[in-house]
Amino acid sequence: MAQAAGVRVTDMVRLNDIPEPERSYMAELECIPYKHKPFTKAVAPNQRHVAIVSSAGLIIRGQRPMLSNDAGYRSIAADVANSDILCSHVSVNFDRTGFQQDINVMLPRDRLNELEADGSIAKAADTHYAFMGATHPDELEDKAREVGRSMLALGVNTVVLAPV
Amino acid sequence: MSGLAHFLEDEGLSTIVVALVREHVVKMSPPRALWVPFEMGRPFATPDDVELQQRVLKAALALLDEPTSEPLLQNFAEESSDLQGDLNWGFPGKLDADSVIAEAQSVLPIWHKAQTRINRTSFGISGFSPEAAIEFIHRYLSPDPMPNPKGMAPVSRARFTIDDIKVFYFEAALANGGRPSSFQLNEWFWKQTLAGKMILDFQDAARLSNDKNLRLIAGSLVPPECTYEYL
Repeated sequence: MAQAAGVRVTDMVRLNDIPEPERSYMAELECIPYKHKPFTKAVAPNQRHVAIVSSAGLIIRGQRPMLSNDAGYRSIAADVANSDILCSHVSVNFDRTGFQQDINVMLPRDRLNELEADGSIAKAADTHYAFMGATHPDELEDKAREVGRSMLALGVNTVVLAPV
Repeated sequence: MSGLAHFLEDEGLSTIVVALVREHVVKMSPPRALWVPFEMGRPFATPDDVELQQRVLKAALALLDEPTSEPLLQNFAEESSDLQGDLNWGFPGKLDADSVIAEAQSVLPIWHKAQTRINRTSFGISGFSPEAAIEFIHRYLSPDPMPNPKGMAPVSRARFTIDDIKVFYFEAALANGGRPSSFQLNEWFWKQTLAGKMILDFQDAARLSNDKNLRLIAGSLVPPECTYEYL
């Protein structure tokens, strides 16, 4: 397997654990090797204001589901009940029975709230976000930057990205 | 997600990707990534395992403390036990109906019980009730299809309705708890329920449909390893 310059890796590879034909599909997905290396200096743990971004096409009950290659996003406020968060990324290439049992498997907002409560981070964001997985990154750039600016305006400085 | 990490960092946010496909991260080099050896769809591992989910989240955030100016990819060392399944699990009811409509009616009270236990449901993406979801797919390709409510194209509605039917059955399957693997749940649903058979038949019919949009979604309704070719 080719290794991108400068990336520190060890030898654990698990793509082979995925059954065909998903394995080939996943292996052949276009991955853009971004040349630029933007690094934002991380703040200290007690200053971290953390949001989560999911690629599960999560929506709030009643919203229009996200369709394949949807370049938009949904905002999920803290006061939205777990029972009102649905998964509109309905691909058969990943499991959703875990999500059906516990939303934190995909969107660990309860775990993040606990980290705020025990002082591990300064704050769990009041809003988390969801995009549609398998959408080409270039199609998402405008909205991703829009979400980034919204987060900054709300004081967020740290983002955990959770693909499915 | 790795692409998004680049864009968000460029805007001034520090990011960590919790990655399920390590190869993608290696190719796309997000600034910080934690590879987790879990099932696709479960970046934070096991349902209701609060401590393991916490350890994943803490390990991800800990990457922010690494002094590096190069992309950083670390492995999360723990495995989950999700794929081991639960030998004591079985569907908490008897499914002996002679039609998929009757089967769904027999599942309904079990699903309600499951909602009480789990305290939530992720059913609802189609906009239908469980009974209407079953009927919509049952009649979709018949001479007497159910009207498609406004707001969504029929084929999209069919795709989301099929996912809702799976949610309905999978949630009901956990009404008494237990920790079946996704493999166990799929084995049960696709081999032992009339709803699973209805969707498999729908998929086969969709492949031969004159509606090109329906043909397009035909391959995305059933996990490939669960289709008739493999069962």
